[in-house]
Amino acid sequence: MEANTTDKKSSWLKSGWWLILLVAAGLAAPYVISEFYLLILGEALIMSLFALSFNLLFGHMGQLPFGQAAFYGLGGYGIAMLLTKYQMNFWLSFVAGIGLAALAGLIIGIFCVRLRGIYFSILTLAFGQLIFVIIYKWHDFTGGDDGIQGVFPPEFLKTSVSYYYFVLLVFCIAAFILWRITHSPFGYILKAMRENSERTEFLGVPIARYQLIAFVISAAFAGLAGALWAPFYRSVAPSTLIWIKSGEPVMATILGGAGLFFGPVLGTFIITFFHAYILGFTHFWPIIMGTLILIVIFFLPGGVLGFIKEKLDNRKKRGQQS
Amino acid sequence: MILETKKLVKEFGKLLATNNVSFSVNKGDIHAIIGPNGAGKSTFFNLITGYHIPDSGKVFFKGKEITKLPSYRRCRLGITRSFQITSIYPKLTVYESILMALLSRHRVTLNLFSSADKYFREEVWSILEDVGLADQAHVNGDSISHGDKKRLELAVTLGTKPELLLLDEPTCGMSPEETESIMAMIKNLVDKKGLTILFTEHDMGVVFGIARRISVLHQGSMIADGTPEEVRASEEVQKVYLGGAA
Repeated sequence: MEANTTDKKSSWLKSGWWLILLVAAGLAAPYVISEFYLLILGEALIMSLFALSFNLLFGHMGQLPFGQAAFYGLGGYGIAMLLTKYQMNFWLSFVAGIGLAALAGLIIGIFCVRLRGIYFSILTLAFGQLIFVIIYKWHDFTGGDDGIQGVFPPEFLKTSVSYYYFVLLVFCIAAFILWRITHSPFGYILKAMRENSERTEFLGVPIARYQLIAFVISAAFAGLAGALWAPFYRSVAPSTLIWIKSGEPVMATILGGAGLFFGPVLGTFIITFFHAYILGFTHFWPIIMGTLILIVIFFLPGGVLGFIKEKLDNRKKRGQQS
Repeated sequence: MILETKKLVKEFGKLLATNNVSFSVNKGDIHAIIGPNGAGKSTFFNLITGYHIPDSGKVFFKGKEITKLPSYRRCRLGITRSFQITSIYPKLTVYESILMALLSRHRVTLNLFSSADKYFREEVWSILEDVGLADQAHVNGDSISHGDKKRLELAVTLGTKPELLLLDEPTCGMSPEETESIMAMIKNLVDKKGLTILFTEHDMGVVFGIARRISVLHQGSMIADGTPEEVRASEEVQKVYLGGAA
């Protein structure tokens, strides 16, 4: 047992080095890459946070939500409407956007967590589309398909570099919180429910209530991603809530690997940067994306990060044997 | 008396799965429920653990009515179960599986920010020692032998510190040696930890070898209830079930 704990510590340190390196790269990015790619990087971070919120339910709890864009969009609409229609303080609007997403998550979650598997996915999809239609059709209040323009961050965050640092900071804090949650007793119980919910209920765990808590947390983080996005893009549109948007974290997570905490982040980075790069010379992006997903599903069932980890583990084992 | 049922009835469509069953289990007993296939043993189990709610009748645990409580609440009161088809966590390690039970019992599962790895290490290891799985602590649940899976499931249920443990066919699919060792383990648990065990079993050797009290179900009704000797002597039981075998 002693050996095991020290082993764990050293492996944490190893993965810790990677993280420090990545954060350092993130801090240095504005001095290294062009403004265009800095914007893409900001987008990738926001989308990564969105994908992490999705994977709390999918990878960790074992339920696939397909209406996650509703919470993302509500976060964005919350901050955008409070800022532009009611001239509220930026930070209050930011928090209110997250709160709105969490509240919607609570109401929708109450209905969804009773269901399992495909029924859960379909009901989240239905609720997601319901919210989309309300915002899309309620032109007088939400701006309908025009969306809302002029969503500005406070003065000191107006340059692309300063807002990028703001996004990086929020992403790091949010990812750290989510990481802690997945490694907490609560996170363990989510895993137990994923593996065998019947067994877990007979350990004295009220399954539906715990799924609801996870659902609300997930919605809040999706809302946080949306609230970061609106001032980044200076506007929101109904397309942020539509079901296609809900599919993005699904793709990213499958591509990167649902079984590992940072899988969705890697998947999102691959998709976002690949997308930006490919669009430079062709419009046939969906074909390339589809091919990529097919390759991953057939040849790398653990996702790209899962594949890398497997290779590294194998190498370590061989190193120990020789 | 730790468990008591009064006139329990459960129907599935036209099938009367549990027909007016009243019985009780004494604290510290090893109590077997036997009966031919389709006698209603599983349904009866499910009524006690809260998987099904009876159409009429009542269930009492330590004098408190629990007829309509959900399973997780019954578990918190001290009733838990194993399943006929071994129910474990395939992709969690043996260690983690037992930790889950302890996290739940100690009610720390709403803790969102502390590291779960730090909790209850000694207690997990002591349970691992008790059931003889310590050397496989870091192996995934689906990679251990069938007998060990049964053992693991038992260990996980023990993690909730039950007072009444329901075992559904605890030796199902086991080799004779595995059966013997798990029965010895169960007996040990009752003697050392004051557990009460209610179990179903098709292997009459096991039943008569370990049970101190036996109830016989037939077509949803309880046709006999008593010590092994009394049940063995019952003519009705002989007729419907034991045949010449016992």
